[in-house]
Amino acid sequence: MIVPMSHILAFSGAMFFMGFACVLAQRNLIMILIGVEVMLNAVGLTLVGASALWGQVDGQIFVIFLMAMTSAEVSISLAMVVYLHRRSKTLEADAFSGMKG
Amino acid sequence: MNLEPITFPWLTLLIVLPLLAAALSLVLRKHPVFSRWLALGITLAVLAITIGIFIVADGRGGWLLYEDYPWIASFGIRYTLGLDGISLLLVLLTAFTQVLAILISWHRKYQMAVFYSMLLFMEAGIMGVFLSLDLFLFYLFWEVMLIPMFFLIGVWGHERRVYAAVKFFIFTMAGSLLMLLAIIALYLLHGQQTGDYSFALAALKNTSIPPALEPWLYAAFVLAFAVKVPLVPLHTWLPDAHTEAPTAGSLDLAGLLLKTGLYGLIRIAFPLFPEMAAASLPLLAAFALFGIFYAAWIAYAQIDAKRLIAYSSVAHVGFMVLGLCAWNVTAMEGSILLMFSHGITTGALFLMMGMIHHRTESREIGRLGGIWGKAPVLSAFFLFFALASLGLPGLNNFVGEILILLGAFHANPLWGALAMGGVVFAAAYMLRLVQGVIWGPSEGRTEEITWTDLHPRELLILAPLAVLVLWIGLYPETFLAPIREPVRNLLEGASLVAMKGGLP
Amino acid sequence: MNPNLLFIIPLLPLAAAVVNAVAGQFLPRRLSEGIAVGAVGFSTIATLLLWPLVDAEGVRAELYTWIASGDLRIPVEIVFDPLSASMTLMVVFVSTLIHLYAVGYMREERDYARFFALLNLFVFAMLTIVLADNLLLLFLGWEGVGFCSYALIGYWYREKKNADAGRKAFLVTRTGDVFLGIALLWLFSLTGTLSITGINQAAFDFGSGTLLLLTLLLLAGACGKSAQLPLMTWLPDAMAGPTPVSALIHAATMVTAGVYLLARLFPLVSLSSTGMAVIAAIGAASALYAASCAVAQREIKKVLAYSTMSQVGFMFLAIGVGAVGAAMFHLFTHAFFKALLFMGAGCAIHLTGENDIFRMGGLGRRAPLVFWTFLAGALCLAGAPLTSGFFSKDAILLATFAGGGVFQRILWGVAAATALLTVFYTFRLVYLVFAGSPRAAGEAHRLPGVMRWTLPPLAVLALAGGLLNLPVAWGGSGVLNSFLGRFAGREIHASHALEWGLAGLATLLFVLGWLLARLRYRPFPEERISPARDFLLRGWEADRLVSAVIVRPFTSLARILWQRGDRKGIDGFLEGTGHLLMAMGEGLRRATTGRLHSYLGGFAWGLIALLGWMLLRYAF
Repeated sequence: MIVPMSHILAFSGAMFFMGFACVLAQRNLIMILIGVEVMLNAVGLTLVGASALWGQVDGQIFVIFLMAMTSAEVSISLAMVVYLHRRSKTLEADAFSGMKG
Repeated sequence: MNLEPITFPWLTLLIVLPLLAAALSLVLRKHPVFSRWLALGITLAVLAITIGIFIVADGRGGWLLYEDYPWIASFGIRYTLGLDGISLLLVLLTAFTQVLAILISWHRKYQMAVFYSMLLFMEAGIMGVFLSLDLFLFYLFWEVMLIPMFFLIGVWGHERRVYAAVKFFIFTMAGSLLMLLAIIALYLLHGQQTGDYSFALAALKNTSIPPALEPWLYAAFVLAFAVKVPLVPLHTWLPDAHTEAPTAGSLDLAGLLLKTGLYGLIRIAFPLFPEMAAASLPLLAAFALFGIFYAAWIAYAQIDAKRLIAYSSVAHVGFMVLGLCAWNVTAMEGSILLMFSHGITTGALFLMMGMIHHRTESREIGRLGGIWGKAPVLSAFFLFFALASLGLPGLNNFVGEILILLGAFHANPLWGALAMGGVVFAAAYMLRLVQGVIWGPSEGRTEEITWTDLHPRELLILAPLAVLVLWIGLYPETFLAPIREPVRNLLEGASLVAMKGGLP
Repeated sequence: MNPNLLFIIPLLPLAAAVVNAVAGQFLPRRLSEGIAVGAVGFSTIATLLLWPLVDAEGVRAELYTWIASGDLRIPVEIVFDPLSASMTLMVVFVSTLIHLYAVGYMREERDYARFFALLNLFVFAMLTIVLADNLLLLFLGWEGVGFCSYALIGYWYREKKNADAGRKAFLVTRTGDVFLGIALLWLFSLTGTLSITGINQAAFDFGSGTLLLLTLLLLAGACGKSAQLPLMTWLPDAMAGPTPVSALIHAATMVTAGVYLLARLFPLVSLSSTGMAVIAAIGAASALYAASCAVAQREIKKVLAYSTMSQVGFMFLAIGVGAVGAAMFHLFTHAFFKALLFMGAGCAIHLTGENDIFRMGGLGRRAPLVFWTFLAGALCLAGAPLTSGFFSKDAILLATFAGGGVFQRILWGVAAATALLTVFYTFRLVYLVFAGSPRAAGEAHRLPGVMRWTLPPLAVLALAGGLLNLPVAWGGSGVLNSFLGRFAGREIHASHALEWGLAGLATLLFVLGWLLARLRYRPFPEERISPARDFLLRGWEADRLVSAVIVRPFTSLARILWQRGDRKGIDGFLEGTGHLLMAMGEGLRRATTGRLHSYLGGFAWGLIALLGWMLLRYAF
């Protein structure tokens, strides 16, 4: 392996927490979605690294699944974002509290 | 045990026939009249099969019919049905009651087909409970019979139906979930000990249970059954459920559902934990005795006639539990016979209250009265069943009660003597009911409406009940013969060494 | 003769009852009445025809096994021995006359089928008590008469008062039945059988404490049916029923069932001397109590009801001193003259449309037949010399006196005082109803012939009934006693001088009582109102006592148990649990703000907590 596993883990960890910070800090729905994407990709990176480390293909298959799922998820969530924007003219996450108990 | 070679799956038929009919009438709910005749036809067919079995059995002991197939093999779950004398009596009662339930709901308007479908589902569930010998299967049927009852009360009930239905559901569910836990614990224990993971009742009987765990498992079973019985103080769901349920529902509750609890005690809880059972019998008897008086006393104060009969049920099951606790042949046979008898008399009283309510739209004792002058035949039947219920000798309840009392007195004189006192209480509330409904001046609702005496369909419902009341009262041998050997097996098999067995 | 034919005697009335109950409304009236009367009549004939079957040991017949379970076997078995045979004959004979009388009395009732069905069923149940050789079968009859009296007393159900009286009778007698039931359970537990013969044989092995308790339990059962202290309150109210019912239930049959039970189980009962003393004391006390109440009653039937209670008290006294023969003798003579009195009273009520004796009067001239027959009955009740009541009451007094001890002397004193009171209230009744001028305001009815002509045969029997058991001292031979044989109880040892002395005293008491009544009520046919009279009129306030001590606490406790116990207690606890869970849910609800950021914050904190925990776990 060219890149040591520890580097990959450190990198993807950093990426994960950056995405996480983005999700937590941002108030705009689109930015939150971007944060989620970053987190997902961090996980994907870890999987690819692990797959290379053990020389097994499972990890890479997972990543392909992940990508497919992510694209589906993104398309659905973006559609919902568009819909929400049309409905209430805002993308502030806190404006939507219909699930309040 | 003499296992019959499996020729034709009669027992499965008892369960499957109503189940199929229930599904069919759900599908064809646009054709209520068809589903009505279907329901009647199927229940009659089931009744015919059970009567056939009863006649062929002719008082023989052992397992009369037995079916056993693997079902979910990886978990050791089997589809095991067995019929001995005790279950035969209860299966007969179920089949009989269900025909009456269909007949009494002949002119129900709202969602008729679904109503019949629920009744048929319940029949399948109750049959399953009385027949299954695999605990998993038993639990399945135990829950199956709960759901239709929930809907019967909740959808077709009287004014406070939702409250009653939810109360009924939560009570019984709380009990049965505990039982499920205990069943699983037993299953795992038995599997670990023998390597044979099985839910079969016969296999689980031989499990050796850690002493620390045994009381808890036993308590879980007894609690589940005691809720259903219901033993005071777990009974408060019953008056509400009985009162709010439609007539057919009250009939099934009183006639059948209560019996499943007692049957569970006899068939499952006592045989599985013989030592615990022996130790707990005095405690159960104390609860039963308390219940006899407590419920009778409360019954006396009731204003709603249906509620009064419901409380009388609680008092009667007190007698039955006492009979089980006495743990000798006489009392046990009396208990089982009283289970059968009580289904008939209390069922009949509920049916009659249904007929009176149908005419007067009132169940209040204070607003009825003097019906004899308006509808003498109906009143005569009412008096007859009330007398049977208060234990007049020569009618059915007396035989069971006196056997229980004789046996209980032998086991513990105090039990017998106290329970005998309950007889006056029974007379007190029953006569109050009779007084309030058929005697007295006809005023209130009785005067306001135009009366029709019993019409042929109602007569058709009540006449067989009356015949059975007299039959059991005067010649109980027909119904005592089939349970004789099972009771003996039960008493010997459980070998409660600590208790006095048999009579001198 | 085949002993199984004996079953005809009880089954005929049963069959008639079934026919009348099922089809009575559709039958013509004459047929329905005919079936009812005919069945009892044929029972009488059957009893007479089967009479030769009687022997001292008793003939048994078994129909089938009623209940069998474990070691319990209850056959439907009847026994025809001197005791049951003589009782049977009395029951069917008196019932036949009462049925005939009822045909006339109920002539204007539309609901006759119910009446006759119940009347027949009553006779069946009574015959079951009498003939049964098994305590459980006896219990069937025992409860059966209880039910029939309930339904018959409440026959005119439209009035709440009548239905309530019926219910009271059923409940009070059933309270007694419970004790009988416990005795039954106990006897079975001790002997393993419920056969009366078997129990009487086994009784010798019981301990004395057991015997005493069993005797008291049986006594309590007998007290309930026979309206003895303290279970007597139902009898006066039971007069709400039609008069034939009063005659049947309260004179001839049901109230004597208790006496009969004790006579049947005399071998057991007699083994406990304390128990016997209690029986005698209860009998004497009831006799005195009831006689004192009878003195103040206004309603003609209530006077008779209290006098019944009093006379049955005499029978209990006789059993208690061991003179079963005398008890049975008095039972028979009492059945004749009391049925006669009730039927006469029914005629009087019919003729005047009144119940109140202070508003009757002058009937003697209007209805001489009723007067003379009623007078015959009254003389017997009062114990006028040479009438049947004289001999039977005298036998009891003699047996009591001959007992010897202080206790027996006290009982004898009580009984003699009661006899005096009896004479007084009997003649009070006769004078108020038949003498003087008419005071009735009610609507009078014509008397049907069938009502009138059933009286003379009873009158003859009542007057001549003494011949049944004429004492040796009077030149008789004690026919009944020797017929009863071993059932007649203990021998009474008394000299002829004592017998004559007591008879003389009884005559003296009779004359004294008659004179008192004559002087008081012949010239002044109105009552004097005083607190004492009110107290006696209401039966020593027994009803109020029962109501205050039992009925009201029972009712209010029932309500308390329901509202506090079930509603507030159990349901309250469960609903409280439900509310608690709801409140917890309510609290948790606040955590769901619906805002994305609070959720994500929670998510982050959770993650940190999880990671921290894992780190800590691996670090240490």
